[in-house]
Amino acid sequence: MSEQPKKDYDFHKEHHTELLTVNMGPSHPATHGTVKFMLALDGETIENIEVDVGYLHRGFEKECEAQTWTGVFPYTDRLDYLASVINNVGYAMTVEKLIGITTPERCQYIRVITSELARMGAHFTCLGAGALELGALTAFIYFVEAREMVWDLIESVCGARLTHNYVRIGGLTSDLPDGFAGNVKTTFKECRRLWIDFDKLLTKNRIFLDRMRDVGGISSADAKAWGFTGPCLRAAGVPYDVRRAEPYLVYDRVDFEIPVGETGDNYDRFQVRLEEIEQSMRIVEQCLVQMPEGPVNVNNPEWRQPSKDLSSGNIEYMIHHFKNVLEGIHVPKGEAYQAVEGANGELGYYIVSNGSGYPVKMRVRPPCFPITSALPMLIKGRLIADLIPTFDMLNLIGGECDR
Amino acid sequence: MTLALVETAAKIAFVFGLNIGVFAPLLGWVERKQSAVMQDRIGADRADVFGFTIIGLFHTMSDTIKLIFKEDFIPRGADRIMHTAAPALALIPALVAFTVIPFGGHYTLWGHNVNLVVADLDVGALFVFAISSLAAYGVVLAGWSSNNNWSFLGGLRAAAQMFSYEVAMGLTIIGLVMFYQSLSLVTIVEKQNEFWHWGIIWHWPAFILYFTCAIAENKRIPFDVPEAESELVAGYFTEYSGMKFIMFWMAEFVEVVTISALCVVLFFGGHHLPFVTDAELISGLGGALYPNFANLAAMGIGILTFIVKVIILIFIQMTIRWTLPRFRYDQVMALGWKLVLPASLIWIFIVGVGILSGIMPRP
Amino acid sequence: MATKIKKIRRNVTLTLWEQSYVPEILRGMYITLEHFFINLWGLILEFAWSGREDRKIATVYYPEESVTPPPAYRGRPVLVLGADGNEKCVACGLCEAACPPQCISIIGAERANGERYPLRYTLDGTRCIFCGRCEEACPKEAIVMSDDWRNLCEYDRSKMIYEKADLLVPEEKLAGRLAFIRDKAFGKDRY
Repeated sequence: MSEQPKKDYDFHKEHHTELLTVNMGPSHPATHGTVKFMLALDGETIENIEVDVGYLHRGFEKECEAQTWTGVFPYTDRLDYLASVINNVGYAMTVEKLIGITTPERCQYIRVITSELARMGAHFTCLGAGALELGALTAFIYFVEAREMVWDLIESVCGARLTHNYVRIGGLTSDLPDGFAGNVKTTFKECRRLWIDFDKLLTKNRIFLDRMRDVGGISSADAKAWGFTGPCLRAAGVPYDVRRAEPYLVYDRVDFEIPVGETGDNYDRFQVRLEEIEQSMRIVEQCLVQMPEGPVNVNNPEWRQPSKDLSSGNIEYMIHHFKNVLEGIHVPKGEAYQAVEGANGELGYYIVSNGSGYPVKMRVRPPCFPITSALPMLIKGRLIADLIPTFDMLNLIGGECDR
Repeated sequence: MTLALVETAAKIAFVFGLNIGVFAPLLGWVERKQSAVMQDRIGADRADVFGFTIIGLFHTMSDTIKLIFKEDFIPRGADRIMHTAAPALALIPALVAFTVIPFGGHYTLWGHNVNLVVADLDVGALFVFAISSLAAYGVVLAGWSSNNNWSFLGGLRAAAQMFSYEVAMGLTIIGLVMFYQSLSLVTIVEKQNEFWHWGIIWHWPAFILYFTCAIAENKRIPFDVPEAESELVAGYFTEYSGMKFIMFWMAEFVEVVTISALCVVLFFGGHHLPFVTDAELISGLGGALYPNFANLAAMGIGILTFIVKVIILIFIQMTIRWTLPRFRYDQVMALGWKLVLPASLIWIFIVGVGILSGIMPRP
Repeated sequence: MATKIKKIRRNVTLTLWEQSYVPEILRGMYITLEHFFINLWGLILEFAWSGREDRKIATVYYPEESVTPPPAYRGRPVLVLGADGNEKCVACGLCEAACPPQCISIIGAERANGERYPLRYTLDGTRCIFCGRCEEACPKEAIVMSDDWRNLCEYDRSKMIYEKADLLVPEEKLAGRLAFIRDKAFGKDRY
């Protein structure tokens, strides 16, 4: 048996075997968010993988050029559809930066509260879906239950469960409903109960640990080089969070911790997300205590929407309102970039205005896209079953990645 | 002769009716409802007859009706004969295995000796394993004949998994066979007449190992890698529809019942009530005065006890299925070859030492 | 505030007993069974005597029970029918211009007394995205988002083009939403 294989020994050629090519997706139970993997399999091992994104491309950036500045909001909802408030906030803040206005304090607090609620919803979904894909349906349903309760809260504020369309340039569409703080308290109590159940079901379970730990790991240098942000970067050990690195809104006034992992594998990503849910709850609770009374919109007729009394009762306001709606608000010439911490990472908006009522150019930096592009590197040479948790924990959101 | 034929026919009808008529459809309902209540949901309960839903029981009926009328689809390029034969090959072994499982004891009714097992084989335990290993053919053929890459992968996984666990499963009960000195399931049950002789008392590690192997053999979560929904769409039955699909489903459910029944027979004293022997039961029911009716009543109680025990084990299986995530394919194999197999060998050794040194008194 | 970092509990060490899978399986089963029996007891209580309150289950039996959407809820956009029997809409066309998916089209006309009104008001339900921009733009509070979320789906798209007659809803039925618009959404004290 001491015979060495020949130098140009090719197993596949010698044994007349070939790689099995399978299309995973676009319609496959694991590829939620519509993506296609072209897999070349050697038995169970993934020899090659091509990630094919773009099935959900709607031309968001071009679409926005046909809308007035305010009309863009419903379209931003459909980027990361699990956390649309954060998209709204990001876009509104970019335009506000270009205009140079600061929103009232109460508005900022409400923006933080709704953003964090949306982040909780997104993380609940991501973790639950991750559990579901590994077969733990019960854990998934517990988190869906928690998510529905959080979305009930969001619905009572924003008026919709999924496409909130809540934020406006210089403010918000509406104030918080009465009794909101009490609802938050009861909901968070239930959420924490379900969180503990979920944690007990999975975190220390050896089956789950074996599936998640040391799968899809990435070093912090690699993660930075690939442009990772958000929970995936933090799992790799880099404590980068836009909320802390470049504090926007009132994030510098609330106390929260940034969960950081070590190896950037799926288990770290899972744990980081699990911890972020808890931190989001803390942020919301602090904000509800700190929040002052007051207006939620800037008091500047040029940007804000007049109240219904004025727009119907006063002819000057009515003319102004008509011009604002028909032509759009006239954002001054220039360009601006603003990033917010989305549920998946740094969500950046880059907008160009030529002084008219419509954006001239709009560009979104989706957190998912660079993260998904690293998937082939993470998964090559692993088993086909490892693709599932890795893809889940990278958390591709079709609407955001494909835009 | 005629009487023996009638008796056997009645027993076959009972076993078959219990499995196909009661347990298989009922388990579909249990799987839905139990998982739903576990997950803070209600579960399917909308199928009704004249407004009565009976907590969703009509869903199994409407499912059957729907599946009978569904298109029986055979994909292009599939092997038609194998594609059609595979579901039957999966279902029949699961049903046949039940023939050697005693669901009651010996009873004397009007001078006729009734033994509540369809076939009292001397090698009953071996027969169960021999037959249930045949089920692998149905699954592998289903995966291969569908002409679908996902099915193919599922079939391959199923083949590897089922054959690996076959080995370990046979070894897990060797200790039990040594303990009871018989391969006949009827004898094993008879020897568990007293509560302290039940298999679970001494052989609980064997029970855990056997239960693991049996669930792996049945390909349910956490061992459902051959049909792993999120990886292989539906594994080996991706390309099946209608009644052929339901036959795989039924095979799974019948096997759930068979596993539970075998566990009851091997570890939980079969039809015996705890702390009450058969003779005590019959005499307690007035065996001296009305021997026939006392025997008949004891038979009913025995069968009922057996079914209750089976149901409890089914409930445990269902709970496990809805609680755990699934293994990865290589982890399943590693668990089978590196943990369960050595553990069962060690257990055989321990039992051998225990019996020889007299620590484990044999019944 | 200074950046606080929290290391996650990555290195979960398992004892040999825990590595044998059994304790975690038992713990998991304990949790699911706890849910199971609490829910089962709730269902039994509900079935036996009391009502919805004792049910611990999150599901709502939809056609028999239903949820009440909050006042902020944006359902089907409807036209407000005033107390005088005329629609409040004056066919100014602001909603038409504001609508991002452009699902509204209006043909205006004049009454004998000189008041404008919409001769035709068409809302394409297949294109509406329920964003509420029309309600926001309307200066007359004539189009509002109702809390109506039923019957929004049809098997035929041509049935989803709502004409004025389909859209008109009396004012008193929309009182909650109109109050919400005045108090919370587009009231005086919001800036």
